[in-house]
Amino acid sequence: MSQIILNSLCKSYSPGLFKKRIQAVDGLSLKVSSGSVYGLVGPNGAGKSTTIRMLLNLIRPDRGEVTINDQSVASGDFLHDVGYLPENPYLYDHLTLRELLQFAGRACGMSSSPFSSRTQELTSQTGIAHALSRKLRTFSKGMRQRAGLCFALLHDPGLVVLDEPMSGLDPLGRKMVCDLILDLKQQGKTIFFCSHILSDTERLCDQIAILHQGRLIREFSIEDIKSFRAGERCLEDEFVAAVGLGSGQRGSIK
Amino acid sequence: MMQRVWALALVTCKEGIRDRSLYGIFLFALFVLGLNIAVAGFFMRDLGKVTVDMNLAALSFAGLLLVFFICINLMAKDIDKKTIHLVLSKPFSRAEYIWGKYFGLLLVVLFAQVIVLLFSCGTVAYVHGMYPNYFAGFHWPVFFIAAFFIYLQQALLCAIVVFFSSITSTSFITLIFSIASYIVGVSLEEVVFYLRTQAASQDVVASLQLQRTLETVSWLVPNFAAFDFKIEAAHGLALEWSRLAMTCGYGISYIIVLLVLASIIFKRREFN
Repeated sequence: MSQIILNSLCKSYSPGLFKKRIQAVDGLSLKVSSGSVYGLVGPNGAGKSTTIRMLLNLIRPDRGEVTINDQSVASGDFLHDVGYLPENPYLYDHLTLRELLQFAGRACGMSSSPFSSRTQELTSQTGIAHALSRKLRTFSKGMRQRAGLCFALLHDPGLVVLDEPMSGLDPLGRKMVCDLILDLKQQGKTIFFCSHILSDTERLCDQIAILHQGRLIREFSIEDIKSFRAGERCLEDEFVAAVGLGSGQRGSIK
Repeated sequence: MMQRVWALALVTCKEGIRDRSLYGIFLFALFVLGLNIAVAGFFMRDLGKVTVDMNLAALSFAGLLLVFFICINLMAKDIDKKTIHLVLSKPFSRAEYIWGKYFGLLLVVLFAQVIVLLFSCGTVAYVHGMYPNYFAGFHWPVFFIAAFFIYLQQALLCAIVVFFSSITSTSFITLIFSIASYIVGVSLEEVVFYLRTQAASQDVVASLQLQRTLETVSWLVPNFAAFDFKIEAAHGLALEWSRLAMTCGYGISYIIVLLVLASIIFKRREFN
């Protein structure tokens, strides 16, 4: 059973009065199977973040529908089982990390015992256990990203949505995120993420799609990904070829 | 539901009371109260009235600064910096977000008002002790009732801030609309009353259309002057319970209507 279905999604924005509308997402359809890792890659402005925002019901599509476990996201019921990390998360400056996580725990209806053990587990895993009593404004960019991950994963969600999870992280941080994603995958979680880092996407994903100018121009199956991992083909070359062609012959490639 | 609303209220309150701008507002209030002690002796027979009036005015003005600068910022920052994406990715409904934020703002205002009120009580008690003969009509209960209605006025102003934040995309526009609503709300009662009395004496100073427009606006914009009990507190006048209950009901009804409207608008809003 597919856990996430995006069906012919379209979204446009008005950049201002008397300006032509920008088509951010144009007829996007994809399926993310339950328990898989789905990576959405694309150049800047391809519509990745817009897609994620529609998935989380932060914005509504002009046309099309998003369903999670066969339920439309418009109802908002799915949020109990979703963890989301935005790109460059801006957290509450004057709170400590512990207070931020307490907020997440209360919002998700967690009781104190699982909250404490989960906080300990996640902060240790992300390497910020020492900073639980520190205010978030004193955190570096990488630490904010790690705090955002803890915030997203605290209630042990079944679906994890990550927007550029490696952004701002040093090599150790990137490794930590990769290990975390693999760990979540082993636990049977569904992970949907956007990234610019193709090597990590290739390593982590069961399905990969290339989004360009709001359209899905290429989708890779697990067999394709296996050939990437075996070194027979290269995702970067495929990406450059698809995006390069996609710019010239928009919508004609599939 | 209440657990989520309370969680957000608590976070908003912590963010608000740890904001350094709050210290500036406290310093300003302390300066006014200190000034009151310094100049109290100059007012002769009206000393008691001036002291009470000045203290309540300091309380009111500190509250206004708090609402216009800290509360608006607390609402706008979530949207400007996209923290709202994180919050709404948790199982919050949009209405819960609005109510949670509102209760958080109320807690921030309550915290600040209680501190300024404590200093204010100290100032009044000190001047009262220095010049007891000039405080013949002064009653602490009336003073506290006046302080409570200043808080209620600011609670209503917070609801206006939340309402405009749900419509507008920048904090500056929220600030302008909120200040305009406050100024109109404070002065409109007098303007409408003046026009009515002029029209009754057939000394018409405004067109009928303008009078009708002002009457309509007076129904839309809350009457902030209704929450002003400074004169009663300064002169030690008796307050009728029916008036207090009516004013309370008026304020709370307005707050509920504004928050329900804000929730409906917020539900339709998109967060890019």
